[in-house]
Amino acid sequence: MNAYLRNPLTYVWALLTVVTVISWWISQGADGGFQTNRMVTLGVLMIAALKVHLVMRYFMEVRRAPTWLKRTTFGWLMLLFCLLCGFGLAYA
Amino acid sequence: MAITTADAEPLPDTNGNTTAPGLVPGEASMWFFILGDLLIFGVYFVCYMVYRGEHAGLFLQSQRHLDQGIGMSNTVVLLTSSLFVALGTEAARAGKAARATRLVGIAFACGAVFPILKLVEWLPKLGAGITPGENLFFMFYYLMTGLHLVHVLLGLVILGFVLRSLRSASTPNMKFIETGGIYWHMVDLLWLLLFALFYLIR
Repeated sequence: MNAYLRNPLTYVWALLTVVTVISWWISQGADGGFQTNRMVTLGVLMIAALKVHLVMRYFMEVRRAPTWLKRTTFGWLMLLFCLLCGFGLAYA
Repeated sequence: MAITTADAEPLPDTNGNTTAPGLVPGEASMWFFILGDLLIFGVYFVCYMVYRGEHAGLFLQSQRHLDQGIGMSNTVVLLTSSLFVALGTEAARAGKAARATRLVGIAFACGAVFPILKLVEWLPKLGAGITPGENLFFMFYYLMTGLHLVHVLLGLVILGFVLRSLRSASTPNMKFIETGGIYWHMVDLLWLLLFALFYLIR
């Protein structure tokens, strides 16, 4: 049991869970939350991108994978993040 | 204990340091499938965001009908399931098949909660007449979460095969276990984005 608690994967899981709660909390935000809010959208998208990066890097073990795979997965994430931010923050 | 991969490449240690650096985790063919899937879902995500920009009011109003609690629970369920798959993969690599079987079994049980919660979420909505035809938001919602649910169900079948492989083989078939694992983590990863886009952004 202690070995599992000390395992880096468990730390990654704890971090993923904590930032999930933070992103939910951000989204509840002011006024009960159902107002257009660019800062909330940006914060939520940044946390989502961080979570995806952690899952790819530690759970999918991309950190030990060949460079082409590291670059492809990170490139996909960055491109997606930029497009989502671009369109997500563009509305009037 | 030296465990070998399908390529008969000796692994450096048994501490979960895994596939030697520079080798693709799992089967390379699974990675091509995953990258294709990520690309397809990426296009859906961007389309959703474009339409959201054009109909911000409608999307916000529709988001009110989603159950944040179920969305959060399903996120934690999949993250936890992913953790147990990753721990199970490490255990298998260290030659501890019984422990790996237990861990992947827990992962399977967590994963099996996801479709149940999905039904708990969908059925009252459908009962209240909120169908994919309701509006653009719900068309995207049912289409994308439905497509993801199919991935979850396939992932559970794959985890079932991983469990069977762990139980039956004297030495774990690491390539197969890793391949099943990375598929399951991809399912988790896609949900993280769906959760953010449908439930959380404003």
